[in-house]
Amino acid sequence: MIAYLTRRILFAGVLLLAVSLFTFLVFALLPTDPAALTCGKACTPERIEANRTRLGYDQPLLTQYGKFLKGIVAGRTYGEGQGEFTCGAPSLGYSFSQKDCVTSLIARTLPVTGSIAIGGFVLWMIFGIGLGMLSALKRGRWPDRLISIVSVVGLSFPTFFLALLLLFIFVIWTQILPFPSYVSPTEDFFGWCQALLLPWLTITIISSPYYIRLTRFGMLETMNEDYVRLGIAKGLKRWTVLRKYVLRSALIPIVTVAGLDFGATLGGAVFTESIFSLPGMGRLSIKAVSDSDLPVLVGTTLVAGTFIVVFNLLTDIFYGLVDPRVRIHK
Amino acid sequence: MKLRSYKFLGVAIAASLVIAACGSDGGSGSINKATKGKPGGTVYILTQGEQITHLDPQRNYTGSDLAFAASTMHRTLTSYKYAAGGEGSEIEADLATDTGTASEDAKTWSFTLRDGSTFEDGTAITCADVAYGVSRTFAQEVITDGPTYAISYLDIPEGGYSGPVELNAATTAEEQALFDSAVACEDKTITFRLKVPVADFNVAVTLLSFSPVPKASDTGEGYDTAPVSSGPYKIESYTPGDSLVLVRNENWDKDSDPIRNAYPDSIVYKFALEGAVIDERMIADNGDDQTAVSSDGILPENLLTIFDDPKFESRRQDGYDPYVTYTAFNVKQVSCLEIRQAVWLALDREALRTAAGGPYTGDFADGFIKPALAEDYAPGKLVEGLNVDGTPNTEAAIAKMAEAKTACPDIYELATGEGLKFDHGDTPTWAKLVAIWIESLKAAGIVLNSNPIEPSAYYPTIMDPETQGSMSRSGWGPDWANASTVIPELFCDCGGFNLSQNSADPAYAEFEAGVQAARAETNRGKQGKMWQELNQYVLDQVWAIPGSFTKAQDIWGSKLGNTYRWGPYGSFNFGDLFVNS
Amino acid sequence: MSELVLQVKDLKVSFSTVDGVVQAVNGISFDVREGQTLGIVGESGSGKSVTASAIMGLINRNSADMSGSILLGGLDVLTAQEREIRALRGREAAMVFQDPMSALNPYYTVGKQIAEAYEVHHPKSSKKERQLIALDMLAKVGLPKPSECIDEYPHQFSGGMRQRIVIAIALVNNPRLLIADEPTTALDVTVQAQILELMMNLQQEFGSAIILITHDLGVVAEVADEVMVMYAGQTMESSKVQTLFDTPSHPYTRGLLGSVRSLDNSERGALHTIAGNPPSMISLPGGCPFHPRCEFASSMDDLCSSVQPTLRVLPTTGSESACHLNDDQLLSLGRGVIHD
Repeated sequence: MIAYLTRRILFAGVLLLAVSLFTFLVFALLPTDPAALTCGKACTPERIEANRTRLGYDQPLLTQYGKFLKGIVAGRTYGEGQGEFTCGAPSLGYSFSQKDCVTSLIARTLPVTGSIAIGGFVLWMIFGIGLGMLSALKRGRWPDRLISIVSVVGLSFPTFFLALLLLFIFVIWTQILPFPSYVSPTEDFFGWCQALLLPWLTITIISSPYYIRLTRFGMLETMNEDYVRLGIAKGLKRWTVLRKYVLRSALIPIVTVAGLDFGATLGGAVFTESIFSLPGMGRLSIKAVSDSDLPVLVGTTLVAGTFIVVFNLLTDIFYGLVDPRVRIHK
Repeated sequence: MKLRSYKFLGVAIAASLVIAACGSDGGSGSINKATKGKPGGTVYILTQGEQITHLDPQRNYTGSDLAFAASTMHRTLTSYKYAAGGEGSEIEADLATDTGTASEDAKTWSFTLRDGSTFEDGTAITCADVAYGVSRTFAQEVITDGPTYAISYLDIPEGGYSGPVELNAATTAEEQALFDSAVACEDKTITFRLKVPVADFNVAVTLLSFSPVPKASDTGEGYDTAPVSSGPYKIESYTPGDSLVLVRNENWDKDSDPIRNAYPDSIVYKFALEGAVIDERMIADNGDDQTAVSSDGILPENLLTIFDDPKFESRRQDGYDPYVTYTAFNVKQVSCLEIRQAVWLALDREALRTAAGGPYTGDFADGFIKPALAEDYAPGKLVEGLNVDGTPNTEAAIAKMAEAKTACPDIYELATGEGLKFDHGDTPTWAKLVAIWIESLKAAGIVLNSNPIEPSAYYPTIMDPETQGSMSRSGWGPDWANASTVIPELFCDCGGFNLSQNSADPAYAEFEAGVQAARAETNRGKQGKMWQELNQYVLDQVWAIPGSFTKAQDIWGSKLGNTYRWGPYGSFNFGDLFVNS
Repeated sequence: MSELVLQVKDLKVSFSTVDGVVQAVNGISFDVREGQTLGIVGESGSGKSVTASAIMGLINRNSADMSGSILLGGLDVLTAQEREIRALRGREAAMVFQDPMSALNPYYTVGKQIAEAYEVHHPKSSKKERQLIALDMLAKVGLPKPSECIDEYPHQFSGGMRQRIVIAIALVNNPRLLIADEPTTALDVTVQAQILELMMNLQQEFGSAIILITHDLGVVAEVADEVMVMYAGQTMESSKVQTLFDTPSHPYTRGLLGSVRSLDNSERGALHTIAGNPPSMISLPGGCPFHPRCEFASSMDDLCSSVQPTLRVLPTTGSESACHLNDDQLLSLGRGVIHD
């Protein structure tokens, strides 16, 4: 198990390195000149060149990448003399259009995206698995049919449209809820919930149907397994069989998918954040795209990629923990 | 708003608006007049923007941001009147006791500060604070994006001064002395020595780049999000991407500020909202949104909903923004008046406007000065034979081409053979619009070749005489309410944005002499006449074809008063809004 | 006579599907007594597995139509509460499934699975006690090194070993009836014999009755006392195992026996199989369900295709048979096989 874990973690590290190199190269090879974007109106060619040197864009790509990596580990200082400033480790670069270190920009936006993702995740898992179970247990009868109709409707909504619709209904037209405005949960837990309720609902409605289907399918398939019948034949209670025999195996593939989905959501829920005006990482990325703010784009892409890789690793480890067959064979 | 006009608006125009000329009774008429309101309540401002582009007064250079900060936080020596229509373009004393005194040659201007005006911490605003504020503009490493009139006007040798030592450690005492002699303080009187005559310098100082900054509080880059207020409101909290909350500045003394009414108790700027959400909230007009305005106008798809329904009548307006679009000729290349006239005549301006979005986008412009600049505007006389309704007069164009054949055979050959090169932004909208250009000119036998340019490279390309085509699309908004920030800027080599390469034209010398005379004219009335004549001069020479006096549409909550459009900024006068209970 | 463990009377089970009603079991009756081994034989789809499921109460009453009665441990499984049936499972009757590869929960150690089965009926037992019981059971079913095996997962065992574990689970509560549904079908031939031997030995030790469901007459011959031959959800013949092999009393039984014996004679190429296919359970043929495949049906005019024969006792052999042939004809079937 230890060897397996070590191998997996090393592999994840290599993967992240590859992601970082790839992201870095993709953006470095774009035709946009990052130095030209560092100053506005008073952008004389001399100043552009000065900024180019200051930010290290004049150096060969690999050197730049090396410095980028070094910055992640050790922080990075730009320029010298009066214009000197430092982005502490882990430094992902400096955004000239936002006049801030990319790491601090991400650190500011991540809690928002994290809040959306965590709440949404919990809700969509509860609804997805709960309704999926109900659907499987009542297969072919009205609850199953109702759930399948509702989930098809939910699935067919574009996120953007659904978020707008919820906002219009609950905030603008009926005014049941105030317009979302993010507050830290440690400051005002109720306010935090209130601000995030609609985003959570959006994500839940969009994501649950898939989980309902996965759960329903997994349960029905497992319920036909001999070992489940054996469980019943042992005289176990229905709920015990469901929990220990059916759910356990039906949920394993779901957890794998859920881990990846959660990792991806942490990378930024672009539409949800935009519609509900929540200052999260998705919106940071969108703004970076419209400003051609390459350092931020590299940073957010890398962070989002990291989340996916990390959660992929976590689900693999989880898989190993819950499924003895995986544990031994790998 | 020079920078915005050509860097941002210009790009937007290259992408979306239309050219067209010809008279129109362009309704700059705001339906609202400034009235007396009641104190109290909270005004909300909704925007798609992530933040105020710059709250640092020396860096603020965007129409609605200027209107917002000027009316709430940053006082200047003079200010535009808090009034709708043409009156809003007039200036009155703000921090100063009057609108300034100029020397005979308009090269020295002095202002005397009022008593009793203070910063938010209660300390009095001194002449030194104003001088320090002005000096910040010179620190171009830090003070980016702001207007640079202080640099181009003040009598300091070029490159002689690069900002106060607080913002630029390299500045020496000698260099500071250069500034101190150009901006001198004597008790409460501040005197500006200029290197050129500037008859309307007292209008230029309405720009926030001439507003005071307390030296001790200058945090350089950080000042952009935490500036010190001299107005009736101060920042309670500012979170870019979320909101800016202004509350009353208890140290602001109404007696020292005859202009600002400061009705609401607080003003909340809400950022990063989706355009569709803003419009829907404004349409629904519920709760807090009843005292909200959208600072982004109205999305095109919602214009009909709002303007066709009488129930919105009292909370909408359609009127001019500060901008004019036009197409500049590269006169050096198209050095033939008849051909330039023929292009104008042949152009289907109506089709262009329809393709861009119809009458809501603007009226056919009859020159380069908008009616909002009341003293400088006069209806322009356009080329003879031009159809008032914007449709092409192909016959007249063909006749002009016939004249051109004998008058300037070389250019005629170019225009009918190889063709003229038309610069425009490489955007989907322009791909559509340029087709109308090509088709309508073809009817008059003129060959036009499209030259799409990547938007971010557009202005650098056309401003370089080497890379400019035969004609270039552009747009402009004046930096203050005086055509001195229009005519010289656009058509004189003494300005900063001359795309017409007209100095090669024999008619140019007379024009430039006229510009210099107008600039030095201290009688505002006379100066206005001179700008009108120079505008007509450009129209007669067809150095550019005027396009559109562009319009913008607004909507506001049902419980707001004083929602008039503040002409010089083309936006609400945010600080003058009040809540009706 | 020993005590009655199970009594099935006129059991009928049908399922509604989109294609129509599936008549899976069509009125069968039988008894199982203590210590007895009943073989239920039939082709796949003959209703034997459904019968087993019905006895265990594993058929969802919402999805199936059931009638008759199944008396087990003093209850009628068909009408009892789920809670009551649960108390029967494992203790009155336990089950061994066909495929040991899929019959064990892959996520738990085998020890846990045995202990869990024990706990159901011994809720007050300590963990330690259950552990000892599991060890004991593993030893009884012949697993080498039970103390190591107990913490291993099902996938670490071979098919034969897993079937031993399944049997251990089934027997841990010392059930009065063990239902083994094709317990050796999925196993290698050598392993089959071991498992059968194990079951017989354990039956001696535990004294359980066994219902052995199989399509393999060879298996029945080895372990069963009584045999019931099922076809299309009905009992065709029921008799002592020796009688069945000596004097089959139904053309279908004769066919089945032929299949077995012809295997022995395969070198000589005398392959005897029953012509035709088992009937669709949705539209059973009228009369005797076997008549379309029966070589004697044509000589009975329309009797076989119109009238369903009932089970009757043949006084000579004591067998029961559901066939329109007369006693003499039935008695001569066995000879037919032998001389074939």
